[in-house]
Amino acid sequence: MTRTLLSVREVSKNFGDVEALKTISLDLNKGDIVGLVGGNGAGKTTLLRLLCGLYKPSTGKVVFVDDGGVEHPIHKVRSNLGVVPEATGLYARLTAWENIRYHSRLNNIDDKQAWNRTLRLAQALEMEDDLQRQTRGFSRGMRQKTALLRALSHDPDILLLDEPTGGLDVTSARRVRDLVRKLGDEGRTVIYSTHQLNEAQQVCDRIVIIHNGTLRADGSPSNLMKLTNTDSLEDAFVELTQDESREVETPEPESKFQRFWSRLTTGRKQPPSGESPPSGGEVDA
Amino acid sequence: MRNGLSRVWTVASKELLDFIRDWRTLVALVLIPLLIFPLFFIALPIFLQGEMSELDYYSLNLEVQIAEGDEFPEQLIQPFIDNNLNYTIENLDDGLTNLSVSGPDAIRLREGTPHVILRLQQTNTNSSESWNYAILYDATSELSSEGNSRMKGIIFDWEQKIIGLTLAEVNLTKQEALDPIHWDGDVSNANVATSAQSAGFALSMFIPMIVAIWTATSAIQPSIDLTAGERERGTMEALLCTPANRVELLYGKWVAVGVVAGTSVLFQLAGLLFAVAFLIPSDIFGMPTLSIWSMASLLLSVLLFAVFVVAVELALAVRAHSVKEAGTVLGPIVIAFIVPAMFAQFVNLEGIEWWWFVAPIFNVCLAMREALLNITDLSHIALWLGSSLFYAFIAVTWAARQFQREDLVESIS
Repeated sequence: MTRTLLSVREVSKNFGDVEALKTISLDLNKGDIVGLVGGNGAGKTTLLRLLCGLYKPSTGKVVFVDDGGVEHPIHKVRSNLGVVPEATGLYARLTAWENIRYHSRLNNIDDKQAWNRTLRLAQALEMEDDLQRQTRGFSRGMRQKTALLRALSHDPDILLLDEPTGGLDVTSARRVRDLVRKLGDEGRTVIYSTHQLNEAQQVCDRIVIIHNGTLRADGSPSNLMKLTNTDSLEDAFVELTQDESREVETPEPESKFQRFWSRLTTGRKQPPSGESPPSGGEVDA
Repeated sequence: MRNGLSRVWTVASKELLDFIRDWRTLVALVLIPLLIFPLFFIALPIFLQGEMSELDYYSLNLEVQIAEGDEFPEQLIQPFIDNNLNYTIENLDDGLTNLSVSGPDAIRLREGTPHVILRLQQTNTNSSESWNYAILYDATSELSSEGNSRMKGIIFDWEQKIIGLTLAEVNLTKQEALDPIHWDGDVSNANVATSAQSAGFALSMFIPMIVAIWTATSAIQPSIDLTAGERERGTMEALLCTPANRVELLYGKWVAVGVVAGTSVLFQLAGLLFAVAFLIPSDIFGMPTLSIWSMASLLLSVLLFAVFVVAVELALAVRAHSVKEAGTVLGPIVIAFIVPAMFAQFVNLEGIEWWWFVAPIFNVCLAMREALLNITDLSHIALWLGSSLFYAFIAVTWAARQFQREDLVESIS
């Protein structure tokens, strides 16, 4: 019997006038490996940040449901979460182990326990020899793997991964995917945000497609292909996100004076978020 | 509660480890404060002395211009030789309105030929000998200035000799004529203040200022690194995902910045005391003797000030999205700490108005001054203690609010 572990109930998120997420509801079950798929600015990162309690929903709520069925606001039960942000967030002057230990201590985990667990997982990722090295010289892949070990050091129920294989070579990416699958088999819930549809198809039992701040589809890869009458997840994705995509960045809060000053120094009113720049302007690839 | 304290300590110890690993931070916040006063008070004078004595070896060209009909005073020859001055004697231009008018000699002096000109014109007075004189030189030339300095010494000695001779003609000594009311004995014996009291008084004039300024400036870099720096490097997001709440993170970071800034201030004070003790004999300037009450008062005032300053700087830095932006904001803010700290040194403690002990920054600086002077005024203590606690509370509350900002997770990277 599936048990809901994390419940997103009619959650929307606005940043000023920008509606980053529009009324999303989602239940994440124990042992699910959920692929969060969407283009740039679709709202994936906003949803991930809502799931780990970094953002407060504008409406609705995100709750963690414990074994007894009691609901807790997510920010009160962060020790049940392990997060790998896209930026990895490692301290360059600390060793990989010191980075991991810092987070495990903040999770009230005994150093010895954290070390044993880290060593075991590091062996699976073939980086046990690098644990005592400063992360300053680490490649993107090494950083990703260290961040993953850090997220797992306190044995969380839910793992939130933002582009976990970004920058990894083929072999390392496969190791990470194998580890994620293993974690799912152990009954851990994994939310796996990615651009790579092939990867999502390989790793995830369930795909959630976010587009322009809305939930476009939620189901297994085969169900999504069946639903759209396509042969691949990529075709299904294209079919489900045919309307023009927007590029919403989370706007930084600005004072009125700063807005006035920006207008004065750029010589024009800033276009509202989502609006295309004028022809001749630079567009992100 | 125990978990909270443990997390605060975890954050603080990690930040301190991070600081210790960065040798640049150690140099900037430990080594430089330790060396800055010894460098200024010991090394700089030694260096200047060396540079000046280097100039003593230069042989300089002196042109003596003497009025027509006056005889060159022979007693100047030996001093010219002793002072390494190669002199030539020329006639003084009789068209000058006074001896200070440089006229065409200005161009020659600027070109360094000669380095210095001495103009002499004998006058008739009741003195045994009487002269008008002027020394022309170029203040922007090191050699010309050196020539001017040597000439002034020679003229002074010559004048003293003439005064002595003039007084001798009327059977007077210089002391009888110029110092008829004179001090008997050693002036320093008349001061009843002990060397320890003198030290306390002297230190009270600048230690509060140094503590205030250095606390404010040394907390800037770590405050920025631990807040805007974390945001910029993208480490803040991962940190905010841990069970540590934001107030615990703030307190942990506060402890780390406070320890770094406090260490920096202590090292600077150690350097200052070493420099002062090196320069001034111990019978004049001893170690200040402070009562337990004064020492507690001094430490408490510094601590509360540090709470206030570090909280304000952390709050301002965490609002910034990048290290650059935080630096731009915090740089000018330091002026707000420095100016009152400087002014507080000149406030008269005698009959001081009560509100000085409530005014921010002034209150702590004046509290430190009173503590160093062993003054225990309970009403003053109540005022600065109460106001400092209030300011510290406001600053910490404001900092905690800044740490609750949702956009803290955003990073420009």
